[in-house]
Amino acid sequence: MVDLPKMKVGIVACSGEEIVEGTITRLAALSVLEQLRRNETVTICLPLFLAGGEGDRAFARFFPTIAVDGCELRCAARATEKFSNKPAISLTVTDLLEEYQIGKPQGSRSLNAAGKQAVELLAQRIAHSVDELLVQKWSRGEGKLIDPAMIDEIKEISPEPVTASCACGSGIPVQNVIIAGKQVSLAGLPLIFQQFCDAGKFPDDANLKELVEVIKIYNPIPVDEEQAYKEGIRVAYAKYWFKEKNQ
Amino acid sequence: MGRNHNTRVVIIPCSGIGKSYGTVSREAAFDIVEELRPETTRLVALSKLVLGDESACSVVRNNPTITIDGCKLACATKMVEESGGRVVKDYAVLDVYRRYKQFKPQGISELNDGGQKLAQALAKEIAIVVDQLTERNRGDSDG
Repeated sequence: MVDLPKMKVGIVACSGEEIVEGTITRLAALSVLEQLRRNETVTICLPLFLAGGEGDRAFARFFPTIAVDGCELRCAARATEKFSNKPAISLTVTDLLEEYQIGKPQGSRSLNAAGKQAVELLAQRIAHSVDELLVQKWSRGEGKLIDPAMIDEIKEISPEPVTASCACGSGIPVQNVIIAGKQVSLAGLPLIFQQFCDAGKFPDDANLKELVEVIKIYNPIPVDEEQAYKEGIRVAYAKYWFKEKNQ
Repeated sequence: MGRNHNTRVVIIPCSGIGKSYGTVSREAAFDIVEELRPETTRLVALSKLVLGDESACSVVRNNPTITIDGCKLACATKMVEESGGRVVKDYAVLDVYRRYKQFKPQGISELNDGGQKLAQALAKEIAIVVDQLTERNRGDSDG
């Protein structure tokens, strides 16, 4: 196991500028990020899943996310699932308004009383969801919550504090490796390489086998492509090893 | 691109909530669409383009679009281009701030006074571009 950043919960708000419910998602998410759970959460900018780097997509593979949507289109939840991983929890403002029978929110910039009430309720709901997720175990390998019955069989990773408010600074390093002629991004690889190298694990067959097993904890490797991954990782780690040792 | 009197300039701000510049981009967009040029502009939510929502993609394909990005990743501009739209002018808030150093933005959920003024200054610049585009469209339409 490598030392990855402390588990945090990612919050993906739709932030839809066209509708008042989008403003509610944004303000509720900010309330959680800045005040209610500031040390336990980070924000992920939705467009970064497409326009940003692999680090943003990797986030939801490592950590649980809460998608907060303004309307039934559920852009945040669907885009998160499409480009990264299924959100652990999905909340929608329209559902909340119906549940609490709040009046009609209005004002995309300056919310009316109903809008402010919705922000407060949604923020509380998000914070509660964060608490729920943090007491559960998250499989960084599979990108989903772990069945409590399985927890005894799994060692948790030792946490290190990291300060980040947005996932661009989530602290999950990603490295590209050529696998069967294709460029593949492997999450956590720089840390894994560093740890193996620091432990003096020469890039031979025995260590390579162990290396691949560790990488598999954090990245899905298709069974029929395992040999190709092994070869790509072998080349990348050998390069890393000799570069480090020759410095 | 079909141009007529109904053409509206689409304004697409960054939807980031992690940095002040994202908030400035959004405030500037609201300034334009709600106050300065409500008759000739409209917003499209970036999240819809991320998801490939057909109606949102159609809007950016059929109207001139101005993007306002909060950081160098330029998500808004990239999303419009990936959706088949034409960005007639793209603004980066950081570059705008370099022109208005006296307005230093701070805060995310609530912008400070500097951030508000920066957003207003940016919105005024965009309004000029909107006027040029709508005049040109009117000219095209009138033949």
